[in-house]
Amino acid sequence: MTLYVKQDSLIHEIDPITKVIYAFVAALLPYILPSHTVALIVLVISIMLLVVGKVFRKIIPLIGLSLFLIVSLVIIQGIFRPDNVTPLFHFGPIIFYKEGLSYGLLLMLRVINLLCAFGVLILTTKPDDLIQSFIQKGMSPRIGYVIGSVLQLIPQMSATIATIKDAQRSRGLETEGSLLVRIKAFLPLIGPVIMNSLISTRERSIALEVRGFNAKQKKTFLHEVHTYKYAKVIQAVLILIFIFAILWRIFL
Amino acid sequence: MLSCGGFSYEKIIVENLKYKYPDTDQLALNDVSFEVEEGEVIGIVGQNSAGKSSLCLALTGLIPHFFNGAYGGKVLIDGIEVKTSTITDLSQKAGLVFDNPFTQMTASKYTVYDEIAFGLENIGVSREEMIERVDWSLKMMGIENIKDKNPFDLSGGQMQRVAIASVIAMRPEILVLDEPTSQLDPQASEEVFRVIQQLSQEGITIVIAEHKMEKLASFTDRILLLYEGKQIDFDTPQKVFSRDDLHDYGVVPPIFTTYCKAMGMKNKKTNTYPVTLAEVSSLLGGENNEWNKS
Repeated sequence: MTLYVKQDSLIHEIDPITKVIYAFVAALLPYILPSHTVALIVLVISIMLLVVGKVFRKIIPLIGLSLFLIVSLVIIQGIFRPDNVTPLFHFGPIIFYKEGLSYGLLLMLRVINLLCAFGVLILTTKPDDLIQSFIQKGMSPRIGYVIGSVLQLIPQMSATIATIKDAQRSRGLETEGSLLVRIKAFLPLIGPVIMNSLISTRERSIALEVRGFNAKQKKTFLHEVHTYKYAKVIQAVLILIFIFAILWRIFL
Repeated sequence: MLSCGGFSYEKIIVENLKYKYPDTDQLALNDVSFEVEEGEVIGIVGQNSAGKSSLCLALTGLIPHFFNGAYGGKVLIDGIEVKTSTITDLSQKAGLVFDNPFTQMTASKYTVYDEIAFGLENIGVSREEMIERVDWSLKMMGIENIKDKNPFDLSGGQMQRVAIASVIAMRPEILVLDEPTSQLDPQASEEVFRVIQQLSQEGITIVIAEHKMEKLASFTDRILLLYEGKQIDFDTPQKVFSRDDLHDYGVVPPIFTTYCKAMGMKNKKTNTYPVTLAEVSSLLGGENNEWNKS
């Protein structure tokens, strides 16, 4: 359950922390400077990075998923925005206004931009590399473990739920039909699921304990998170842009 | 930690161990005392809730450090007292493998190789040594071919071997296995028993709780028989499985022993019944009259 795409590219070589900073700066810039031009520029940069990272095709289904939200944003803003004054076109009695459509477009750019910016991070960074970087920056290894294991435990858990559901159905439990039937089936399903996860959680924590999870020693790492030559420079530039944008917004 | 020099000595010393889980009335372990020498293979037998798992947990420090409850007596692992040590320190002395292969996977690693390195990362082993130890573990378990796979994509038997590899990578001198094959099919069980025997040949002291008596009889040096938390017997497989009251303790002896008992075939010299096929055949006049215990 990870979106990471293994590729050989310049973007994959950049260290995770730099990409995290990029994702946040790129996602926030169009909010700090609310103009279409800024949003468009940042979006184009993110898309370029995705293309360089050879993962552009992977972002399209993600944008597609949010298309419903995006389109409804534009329509609703176009029709109902309070400061709508200039009618642009109409379908029968429904009038679309320039101001609303323009604002809807900005919202749309922001959403797509957010997806692309985090896409650069998530599609080109191995989750365990990302977590390891955070641990090395001082995050607690326990929190790191929780984040890392959730990604793999959720599919495990849904498999367990499916097994329990089948088992209960084979004993005659009705799980399909009217709402009332489904509600009645909920308890016999959720009970075993909870018991089962409690037991496996206890067993897994034993397995972790005997492998030194609570060790007081400083942790070492099997893999070196690759450092990127220009990481510091890129990070500095990104943070400068960010500060500059805030100052711009405040003083100009 | 200093090792105690070159002489052979007791790896495990258990003295009057008593333990009661929180919120229970019955002692899970009731006055258990035994000693295990370096390199020995010990089998723990007994019916369900006889205290096998509790004893395994007590040998690895999870009792009393993970499970609270009333604890009495003393357990010494390689000269270290369990009660005053920590699970992390003990994990480098005595490793624990248990029955469920799924829950022994950390779920935070994406390859078998990384999974095995997990414990070594935690205890701060240097990268070079980590790689060396992981490679050694993979080789010992015969799982080099699956090192790049996701642990959850493996079969139960492979997963259990990964679990053992992860534990032996910590280089414990003692390996404690709590019914390691109870959730595996016969072929996978066979593989797991094979690697356990191989570890024994490497000189690792092994304590194994199991229900497969034929297997235990064939490769253990001594058997510890538990019943309702009490220690009933601690002797060679031949002596323990020849006991007439074995059924009272809910233990079924190896099929060979049952057969020979029914036929009245006893080894006159030792006054015990055979416990393995090899012993039966030698009793029936095979090539060597001495029981060839492997």
